[in-house]
Amino acid sequence: MGLVLVTALAIGSQGRSGPPTEDQRVRRITSVIRCPTCSGLSADQSDAPAAMSIRDEVRRRVQEGETDGQIKGYLVGRFGGDILLQPEAEGVGVLVWALPLLGVGGAVAGLALVLRRSRVRPGRQVSDADRALVEKALRS
Amino acid sequence: MSAVLGTAAVTLGLVAAILGMATLALGLRRGNPAMLRAGQRYTWLVLAGAVLATAAMQFALHSHNFSLKYVADNGSRSTPVLYTVTTMWSALEGSILLWALVLAGYLAVMARHFRDRATDPIVAWATIFALAVAAFFFGLMAGPANPFRLVAGAIPLDGPGPNPLLQNHPLVAFHPPMLYLGYVGFTIPFAFGLAALVTGRLGEGWLVETRRWTLFAWGFLTIGIVLGAWWSYEVLGWGGYWAWDPVENASFLPWLTATAYVHSVMVQERRAMLRVWNLSLLVATFSLTILGTFLTRSGVLDSVHAFTESPIGPAILGFFALVVTVSIALVGCRGDTLRSPGSIDAPVSREGAFLANNVAFAAFAFVVLLGTVFPLLAEAINGDQLSVGAPYFNRMTAPIGFTLLFLMAVAPALPWRKAATETLHRRLLWPAWAGTLTVVICVASGLRGLSPLLAFGLGAFAGAAALRQLGLSVRGARRAAQPLWRGLFGRANGGMVVHIGVVVVAVAFAASSAYSHRAQFRLGPGESSTLAGHSVTYLGTTTVEHPNKTTTQARIRVDGGKVYEPSLHQFPFGSQAIGSPSVKTGARADVYLTLVVPPDAAGVAVIGVNVQPLIAWLWTGGTIMGFGTFLAAWPGRRRRPQAPEGEPVVSRDEVAPQPAGVGVGS
Repeated sequence: MGLVLVTALAIGSQGRSGPPTEDQRVRRITSVIRCPTCSGLSADQSDAPAAMSIRDEVRRRVQEGETDGQIKGYLVGRFGGDILLQPEAEGVGVLVWALPLLGVGGAVAGLALVLRRSRVRPGRQVSDADRALVEKALRS
Repeated sequence: MSAVLGTAAVTLGLVAAILGMATLALGLRRGNPAMLRAGQRYTWLVLAGAVLATAAMQFALHSHNFSLKYVADNGSRSTPVLYTVTTMWSALEGSILLWALVLAGYLAVMARHFRDRATDPIVAWATIFALAVAAFFFGLMAGPANPFRLVAGAIPLDGPGPNPLLQNHPLVAFHPPMLYLGYVGFTIPFAFGLAALVTGRLGEGWLVETRRWTLFAWGFLTIGIVLGAWWSYEVLGWGGYWAWDPVENASFLPWLTATAYVHSVMVQERRAMLRVWNLSLLVATFSLTILGTFLTRSGVLDSVHAFTESPIGPAILGFFALVVTVSIALVGCRGDTLRSPGSIDAPVSREGAFLANNVAFAAFAFVVLLGTVFPLLAEAINGDQLSVGAPYFNRMTAPIGFTLLFLMAVAPALPWRKAATETLHRRLLWPAWAGTLTVVICVASGLRGLSPLLAFGLGAFAGAAALRQLGLSVRGARRAAQPLWRGLFGRANGGMVVHIGVVVVAVAFAASSAYSHRAQFRLGPGESSTLAGHSVTYLGTTTVEHPNKTTTQARIRVDGGKVYEPSLHQFPFGSQAIGSPSVKTGARADVYLTLVVPPDAAGVAVIGVNVQPLIAWLWTGGTIMGFGTFLAAWPGRRRRPQAPEGEPVVSRDEVAPQPAGVGVGS
């Protein structure tokens, strides 16, 4: 079963062959660009005029052969760093990526430690009073 | 008159809450049962205050009493009756009133439910804490968020009506009340948790008492969130249902911690472990509802729901700080007695899976909270302007979601304490095959992409595991000569039904985010275009004058069949036109139409088309989750007295109902 699953996932994650089309690239870029006049929507999702003009601009630059990085750099230069919907991993922005990883790492490590300690610990000592209780319960 | 009645009612609620707290506190101090019983009765006065204030507000809205600032700002003569009713929760002050009403309702139900145990200190303390929360919300209405404030100067003849987005779809009548029933419902278990800390009766008694309250609150919150997503989909017109908007996150955060809680309480009930952790989750859930209110209502975060820059921010933030401080102090004081007598024997066990579940949910909540407040943090640290949006949340939470789906599949098959490999193999074999075959079929039918395939495979795995549990339970009911449907009731079975709902939602989420198509077409009358195999034909537009708005409707034939009418509404007081999408719903995919630009002089309009698969599954899954919660809250097979598995458990005495006047705990 494992083999079947891994093979299927490997085929499935290959994706369509060939370089991405122009549409795909425009959508890929605009989906991480904030629509400047909306709240919380990307330039890919919104139908606001500002989002449409960003889409047109990105398409024009894609046609001119700019890379994704160049286009994003241009947009950051024009609108400011908060135009990106996910912060770059630099400066303060590192924290938003690193803190969850550190937290989860810490939690998993802590959990492993607790589990290990409770497993290493030998069974509880049974006191005479406990035995007496059990005896009594069994007899009644 | 409404203003006088409303102000009097708010004052009544506030005074009753404070007097009730004082009476209960005195009664506890003097050990006076009569005073404790009297203190409980104040909850009815609080309810009376809330109901009267609501009635006054509704009367003012319907009688167009524009001498009230709230009515003048949010009401209008041309608003239809339904949206005049919902105007009460269309802006800040009225939302607080709705909150107070729901809270007063819960308080009264609580007082009635525990009326035979009014003299039990844990009930008295819980009532004090719940009344304190009520006093805070009535205090907000008496002070900074007064819904009955009068207009300054001349009384206007008409008002602008509620926010155009909030008078566009009937769901606005159901989504906020459901959400509030969820938010506010957690006040009761929270109050009991604090009461357990104060009285020192930290056994499992209070947990068992509040189990059903927690479930109901969780169920309402779930339904409220799903309705919110549905509202967003039907109204906002961008074709999505979840934007990771701050206010959505604010409702999702308590849901995450509450979901962790409803799982980890089972460990405490069965094994008497995780006491501090469970209390912390409960405190986190309650305080996150307050923090969410602060974030979304104070205007610190940019959001469609942050109606106004309001003066209540500091008050709510102060209350949040108070809740957290008191809770941490109480847990700190009781730290020594909270140490659990049980311990985990093996990581591969039911309790081990619940621990992993809790780590995953805590991580999920942490990511969502961090992402939501990070723009504020970054600005505070070095003045950087940053945005954190959907791409971040999707990327960070997807692995956690996969982990949770996997746990959902495995955990129900794990026995408590320790699992033998052989048992596990036998129980998980066919669910695992179901997952594998699903992936194979999906790949064979041409679906690509690792994330959606993983989601479908794990979803099928988890769904099959849940179905297997339900099948066993139904078979058990047949053996016991009970009607078969008994096998679906009770916490474990209802929980499995909820799991199936979660799987359906997860599959829908994965499919709709991975395989959506969107495009805008410039079409003249009679012209057609095609997107993802669906044809759209633009037929023309009509303009309709309503009393409260002017609507431009486009007529669009989809797939040569029915005609759909996405529209643009122009409200007299709103500057921007508000779009209303029109959706062709299908079991396989939705075709979502918007009128982006109305026809120009040449008659050419811009039509937005959005084809997303399996959207209907979201609402179906949400319904299944709500139904499952109902089944879980239904009394199942009684297992009382709850036999702890294995190790001895201290202080079980408070599980049984206390006779009046007794019950100072361990």
